[in-house]
Amino acid sequence: MATQVKLPRLGQGMDEGKVLQWLKGEGDTIEKGDELYEVETEKVNVEVEAPAGGTILKVLVDAGQTVAIGTTLAWIGEPGEDVPAGGGDDAASAGSNTAKDPASDSTPTKVKSEPVAAAARAESAPAKPAQATPAEAPAAPAPAPAAAPQPGASDRVKASPLARRMASERGIDLATLSGSGPDGRIVARDLETAAQAGAAAAAPTAASSSSYEGQAGVERVELTSMRRTIARRLGEAWTAPSFILNRAVDMSAANELRARMLKTVKEGDVRPTVSDILTKAAAVALRKHREMNAHWAEDAILRFEAAHVGLAVATDAGLVVPVIRDAHAKTVKEIAADRKVLVDKARNGKLTPMDFEGGTFSISNLGMMGIDSFTAVLNPPQAGILAVGATVDTPVVIDRRVEIRPMMTISLTCDHRTVDGAVGARFLQTLVEHLEDPTSML
Amino acid sequence: MAQMTYREAVKTAMAEELRRDQRVLFMGEDIADMGGSQGVSKGMLAEFGPGRIRNTPISEEGIVGAAVGAAMSGLRPIVEIMYMDFTSMAMDPIVGQAAKWRYMTGGQVTIPVTIRTQGGAGWQSGSQHASMLESWFTHIPGLKVVMTSQPDDARLLLKAAIRDENPVLFIEHRDCYPRKGEVGEDPEEVGELGVGRKLREGTDCTIVCWGGMPWAALEAAEQLEAEDGISLEIIDPRTLQPFDLGIVLESVRKTNRCVIAHEAVTFGGFGAEIAALVQEHAFDHLDAPVLRVGEKWAPVPFAPVLEDYVVPGKAEIIEAVRSVAYATA
Repeated sequence: MATQVKLPRLGQGMDEGKVLQWLKGEGDTIEKGDELYEVETEKVNVEVEAPAGGTILKVLVDAGQTVAIGTTLAWIGEPGEDVPAGGGDDAASAGSNTAKDPASDSTPTKVKSEPVAAAARAESAPAKPAQATPAEAPAAPAPAPAAAPQPGASDRVKASPLARRMASERGIDLATLSGSGPDGRIVARDLETAAQAGAAAAAPTAASSSSYEGQAGVERVELTSMRRTIARRLGEAWTAPSFILNRAVDMSAANELRARMLKTVKEGDVRPTVSDILTKAAAVALRKHREMNAHWAEDAILRFEAAHVGLAVATDAGLVVPVIRDAHAKTVKEIAADRKVLVDKARNGKLTPMDFEGGTFSISNLGMMGIDSFTAVLNPPQAGILAVGATVDTPVVIDRRVEIRPMMTISLTCDHRTVDGAVGARFLQTLVEHLEDPTSML
Repeated sequence: MAQMTYREAVKTAMAEELRRDQRVLFMGEDIADMGGSQGVSKGMLAEFGPGRIRNTPISEEGIVGAAVGAAMSGLRPIVEIMYMDFTSMAMDPIVGQAAKWRYMTGGQVTIPVTIRTQGGAGWQSGSQHASMLESWFTHIPGLKVVMTSQPDDARLLLKAAIRDENPVLFIEHRDCYPRKGEVGEDPEEVGELGVGRKLREGTDCTIVCWGGMPWAALEAAEQLEAEDGISLEIIDPRTLQPFDLGIVLESVRKTNRCVIAHEAVTFGGFGAEIAALVQEHAFDHLDAPVLRVGEKWAPVPFAPVLEDYVVPGKAEIIEAVRSVAYATA
């Protein structure tokens, strides 16, 4: 039975890898554990060992190709053995986030490029906010040079039970640490050291404020991995060229719609809010302006058919953006029910990576906190984010007369790499129309 | 409060209970006119007379057997087994009879026997007079086992043992006899079996130890504090059966490290049970393996140099604590 050579996940946040070169070719024989190919990930270049010994029967992915983790790269077996033409598996295509996690058959790796690896260590906070599952942590082979396994040695991370618990609580991948205990065992003090080093690395500018540290009345708050991820991601977002469009919306009709809906709410149902109507309106508008429902993918723009709308939720631990999937296809009541589940999970720290994934647009609402209007920072790779202010009774001019209307200011931040001003303006126009005349959504 | 030695505290406890309860008597080899091989009961014969302070033949089986029968008949005997090694001669009356009768009769009889014995190496007493065998007895349902290091505890817990309705093995470590401490004087005061005691407050490592080892641990703690800055918390469980797991877990959850020290041979000792319980209940709090300090796998040698080598003490405790605190290279 021939063995598949699959691209392993070599670190958290790795979705794909580029095969840089094959170190053996078709027809060559190889021992299990021999280096077979070199792969490039965002963080590190790694030589990957053969998962089995035998003859290389077929190479399916040529050097230079980028493929998703789990993709079958080659087959190893007995000479003359038949192998399936394709990968013989359900490997996802490049660029997909949904690749099967091959951690269970992860291949021993040897770090080749130490400087890159060191950089990886410095910023290998989990890409997804906070929700690194405990099972995920030990699965990743250690990219840290100090913890690099001996050839043939197990790639299991050695850590004390306390260190494991602390890492799990703080969302730290143990594989990114080097242990100071016997045989490289990671112990509690290594996590403390890493926390200090990580804080220093994540916030180089903090050096200027460090003169305040230790002074009376100054409290030092250690960064959680969530806080660090927020800082890193929003720092990146800030470098994207963005522009902001503002509109005032007359919420009379939306309020009326909500009032009518509340009358039909059954006991036990979630009561829809104006936010839920807004989510629905935005999702419908996104379907009409597919350009807005898009991701910036560096070498391409990805436009999405479905509108998966992320909602910014403040929690004690920090900001999270769980996603209401297929919001365009849901009723306002269904959106309200989804929203309640996600917000409850967020507040209880129960969100899973699934709950964050795949958002195509985001909404941040500070209206309930009395904010009149504000602008939001982009949530990359999404093309846009909507900032929502409070609805306030305001004198407005209608037909040359002054009337008092419940007005809400919304502010759309767009990634100028993905969309231009007119696209954002047209989307906003449709959204305002849906809010001011909800029947236009039908 | 009065300053007294551990030895005097044990005698005080017996005397107080003999005065308090006419059913209490004391039996053993040479315990009357000679006051016992360790001089614990000196003077008791004069106060209580030969009816209640009774010399026995050299027959441990006979001594404990008689005590079990007396207890079933309504008395509350204390017996002394001169060396812990000699409990092997009395295993049937202790394990087969005393530990079982209350259970087997459905509670129709109780066996309020207190079996005092002493042991400990370091005195060049030879292999047959230096074993610590507490794990033989902690393994027997129906027995209580007390092994306490401090003079005040010795008095209060021996009184509790005598008043207990169950057979209690009260093990005295020879190193403790000359140790002095403040001991209470109220004859009604009594201790509670199954409650441990924190002998020293610390933050970096927990040591659970009994017999003579708490005294070694107290000295080790001073040295560790001075030389390594390691703060050692010392727990004397005082009673091994029933065992106060709570005080140990509370401490380990604070210090994240645990060393267990007993003089008995390490392998298969009672320390193994504690190590198992700690990892079962505080696994996620451990930052290092639970280590045991105990005697090396050998009969206790007679030659002083060899005896020093085999029997654990301050140096072995320090080594173990440094190891779990990752203070050694």
